[in-house]
Amino acid sequence: MNHRCSSVSKLLEKYFDQEVTDEEKRLVEGHLPDCPACRETLHSMERVRNLIKSPVEAAIEKESFPWVCQKIEREIRLKERPTVRESLRSWLDRTPLFTRRVLIPAVVALAILIFVAAPLLFKKSTSYPGPSVVEYVESQAYNVMVYELEDSKGTVIWLFEGPEKEISTS
Amino acid sequence: MNDNEAEVISRCQQGDQDALKEIFDRYHRKVYRVAYGVVRQREDALDIVQEVFIKLFRSIKNFKGKSHFYTYLYRMVMNTAIDHTRKTKRIPSSTIDEDEGFQLSDDAEKRPDRILAHKELEERVKAAMEKLPPDQKAVLIFREVEGLSYQEIAEAMGCSIGTVMSRLHYGRVKMQEMLRDYVKGGKEG
Repeated sequence: MNHRCSSVSKLLEKYFDQEVTDEEKRLVEGHLPDCPACRETLHSMERVRNLIKSPVEAAIEKESFPWVCQKIEREIRLKERPTVRESLRSWLDRTPLFTRRVLIPAVVALAILIFVAAPLLFKKSTSYPGPSVVEYVESQAYNVMVYELEDSKGTVIWLFEGPEKEISTS
Repeated sequence: MNDNEAEVISRCQQGDQDALKEIFDRYHRKVYRVAYGVVRQREDALDIVQEVFIKLFRSIKNFKGKSHFYTYLYRMVMNTAIDHTRKTKRIPSSTIDEDEGFQLSDDAEKRPDRILAHKELEERVKAAMEKLPPDQKAVLIFREVEGLSYQEIAEAMGCSIGTVMSRLHYGRVKMQEMLRDYVKGGKEG
């Protein structure tokens, strides 16, 4: 390989790919008739190209594509049908009640309401209502007091002998 | 990108399926060639074509028009095809179908021994392509099958022209090495 061949061989791939300038093209084409090695390099690239390309061209000649297009359209339609979850999300997205502008103040107001109302709603009464006096009788020796318990579940009779003594029966 | 194509793309971005069909009519052969170039198997190539156009319909709104539409599409096809190859790598690759491979032009070529020789050759090419790194394979297909310029390949692959030339060179050298019986001896081609 002489000096000229060495410089041209660097351009061979670009020449093969039609990426050389006009000047480079003239240089390569001036060299090729005298250089079997560079011609063989070009032929090798040409054969590799054919090996890669020919089966692809042969395959596409036999192919019919309209059904592929129909299949694509069908697939898109199928995938576009929303699931229940997607439908719900879509409805929520469209509903003005759930827009951020409305939702955030609503949630804040609800939280305040719960904060204020919860103690009132869940407060347990600690005072025992106690029995109600039904009858009270006083005498010189004894005092009698009759109590009716809550829900009429029983009656309590207190018998007072004096201010210090008392007897309870029920 | 001409005005008509821009208009079709715009309609497709708004979800118009008729626009997608127009894009399909215009580009399906290119998409198929690249897909077939990578997988070298009819059914897989058709699956990739289908996947690419569905993917395109869903993601075309991300196309901002900063590059050529066809390079955007080429990139999508190549990525899909290489992903497909990775997924199916564990499954032993089926042999070439009866009708696939090199085109047999005349009756002499359709003799059983010639058919067998063609099938064997296509198997060898397929095996050689599978051994190439994905980037070299992609550049080779874009150049040898689609005839894209270095600039177009660089745009489709998002790399420099120098990188394209380097990948192309090493890919070719490896293919020549792996197929030297056919390349040097001229058994086929």
